[in-house]
Amino acid sequence: MIARHELYCITYPAIIQGHPFCIDFLDKEAMANLPNLTVEQIEHVLGNVSGVRYIARGGQKVVWSGVIDGTTYAIKFASTPEEFTREEDDDTEVEADPEVIVRASREVETMRDCASPYMVKLGPIGLNFVEIEGQSLLYFTEEFINGSDLRSLLESDGPLAPDAIIDMGIQMTDAIKALWELGKIHRDIKPGNIMRRTSGDFVLLDAGLAFDVIGESLSGGFLVGTRIYFSPEQFDYSNRRTGLDFRSDIFALGVTMYEMATGRHPFWNRGHSSQAFYSNVTSLAPEPPSSIVEGFPQDLDNIIIRMLGKSPHLRYRKCDHLTRALEAIRGH
Amino acid sequence: MAIYVQHGHGKSDKITNALDDKSASGVIFAARNEKVDKLDRYITTLRENYECDLLFDPQFYVSTLIPANDRYLPDEYRYYEAGRTAKDFIGARKIASYVNDTINFQTERGFDRIMSPTVIANGFSDRWSQIALQLADSSIEYHSSLTDATPLLVSLVLSEGALDSRSDLDAFLDILTSWDVHGYYITVVRDDATYSQSFYEDRLAHLLYMVYILADRNEFEVVCGYSDFIGIPLRAAGASAFATGWYQSLRQFHQKAFLKRKNGGQPPRLRYSSSPLLNSIMLGELESISDAGYLDQVLSDVDLDSIITDATSPESSAWTSQISDRHHWQTLAKLDQDLSGPVRRNIMGLIADVRQATGLYATLKAAGVPFERNTDGQHLFDWLAGLQTFIRIAAL
Ligand SMILES: Nc1ncnc2c1ncn2[C@@H]1O[C@H](COP(=O)(O)OP(=O)(O)O)[C@@H](O)[C@H]1O
Ligand SMILES: [Mg+2]
Repeated sequence: MIARHELYCITYPAIIQGHPFCIDFLDKEAMANLPNLTVEQIEHVLGNVSGVRYIARGGQKVVWSGVIDGTTYAIKFASTPEEFTREEDDDTEVEADPEVIVRASREVETMRDCASPYMVKLGPIGLNFVEIEGQSLLYFTEEFINGSDLRSLLESDGPLAPDAIIDMGIQMTDAIKALWELGKIHRDIKPGNIMRRTSGDFVLLDAGLAFDVIGESLSGGFLVGTRIYFSPEQFDYSNRRTGLDFRSDIFALGVTMYEMATGRHPFWNRGHSSQAFYSNVTSLAPEPPSSIVEGFPQDLDNIIIRMLGKSPHLRYRKCDHLTRALEAIRGH
Repeated sequence: MAIYVQHGHGKSDKITNALDDKSASGVIFAARNEKVDKLDRYITTLRENYECDLLFDPQFYVSTLIPANDRYLPDEYRYYEAGRTAKDFIGARKIASYVNDTINFQTERGFDRIMSPTVIANGFSDRWSQIALQLADSSIEYHSSLTDATPLLVSLVLSEGALDSRSDLDAFLDILTSWDVHGYYITVVRDDATYSQSFYEDRLAHLLYMVYILADRNEFEVVCGYSDFIGIPLRAAGASAFATGWYQSLRQFHQKAFLKRKNGGQPPRLRYSSSPLLNSIMLGELESISDAGYLDQVLSDVDLDSIITDATSPESSAWTSQISDRHHWQTLAKLDQDLSGPVRRNIMGLIADVRQATGLYATLKAAGVPFERNTDGQHLFDWLAGLQTFIRIAAL
């Protein structure tokens, strides 16, 4: 079983093509300071919300549900650094927003623009800032997803059946494609950021790291996200790479499908050193799922292994190619 | 079947012969060797009489060679200008104007594919390779703005040494596979101008890998120019077509052919292309093979073999260079026949053929048949090693 704490960090031991770099020893998400709130505080601050209930906490946000105008929505809170509010108070231009705010704005914007039915939708309250008992917070609302995220699902019910993996693959590829049509990559696809509705459909969450490939400065697209879902090229600072594209998301989706199929991460085990993880991601050919799960279909094996190709050119060059491949084996 | 005739100087009826024989299914015209009005008339004739693919290599890359042997290019082709240097490629507008002119020339003539202008790249990170990428990028953009244009092939002319580094190639492939284009037209500039089927094993493996990644994995159409016998492994790795021509300079690409030099030299000696040997050998060698009693094992088993089998011996037959050219197509087409399966099966089949050819060479040498350095079958060792390395790196 995979460690609950999946925000695994590594120090990269060597040099890639002459570009030395070091990955933060601790992931920022793991250190995020989560808001501490009560139902009363939330209902008081939002005014028109009732029936507030605690749902979950992620690396960055605390998630609640609440009823607005008769419909239940998810309400997400994150802490913002205090300097932010101060700067705004005295009317000076904020030069660079703290990362948490940049992320939340992106998440809201991405939800609003993304056309895929498999991307979570923005709720009636967009990005807002508030101060509750000395805590500077931001919050926004989303449609409430009745169901459970795949991380919890894996822990409670174990791996998914091949058909569900195929559906998940097709639907998440649709979301990746819609993001890419906006020139964005998600960069944080993993079981904790995908939910399965009670209807059986899957939804992609947490577009906080969704990244505009063009005209983006923050981190230049590298080394942001959850380390153990990184593709090899996300570790590669080589200036010969023109940049990342949706194929890095396809890799992370491949890792997720692998994990949901087998209950194991293809490149990482609890207790692995960071060096071992890095070397696995960049050079280990993963064991095919069928050698772990009896009767697992060979053709789905092939697709997942291909999604885990070490270079983008080994994967799929269009989302439609992957969708076609998955659709061809559905129901076999 | 997908062999194209690589057109060049002095076509006479060579193209139509290959099309009549059904050894070739298309033509790649060379701008340098034809006046535009003649080209137009010839296209009309072919369209009227044949079902075949007509492509046009604008040979834009000749413009940076100095002094270029560019024949009709300067006066006849408006996108061409002799003596361009890197300075002539600074600025998106300049690049776009080259691209528009080169592509418009082709759309006006209804070629089945459009080829982008390119320059020769010696590696994947030098200045010229960056220019080549800009030309490609700009071509994709311009082409996508056209409504009725036939599909675009991004043209790449790479020096053989560019294939040395696997990591550079990987990074380059990440870029090529990110482009939304129909396909690629790939030409490799050979280091050695001597006609032979040899190819450094690692370079061959990397070239096969490149073709495989583009054609098979990523479903691009890949046409390999100036490929000759090497076209056979390239087809096995997934290329849709390869091209070769009647002169040695149309069978493998060398810069020498595009540089001005003194005339002279001797006419080439007569050759025979043998499918069992995977090589083109000298007619004199075929004579010795015949003397040693092994003729049947070396013949390609194609129509024009009759010229040789009807005579008392190869050298006393009515073999001519025209027949030899035509027979060359027939031989390649025969080899190509078995290559439309999955890549792994093609490659395994080809490895078996290479082993067989190696054995046949050994038998012939043991029987005292003398071969020259470039026809003695050494290339088979390169091929075998290249194919095996390819299988490993492609994890077939
Ligand atoms: N819209 C939603 N409806 C229901 N549950 C949600 C919703 N969004 C998130 N969750 C739950 O909250 C968890 C954390 O949410 P997420 O947006 O990923 O926050 P973080 O940015 O902190 O990772 C998810 O794994 C999921 O279980
Ligand atoms: Mg999350």
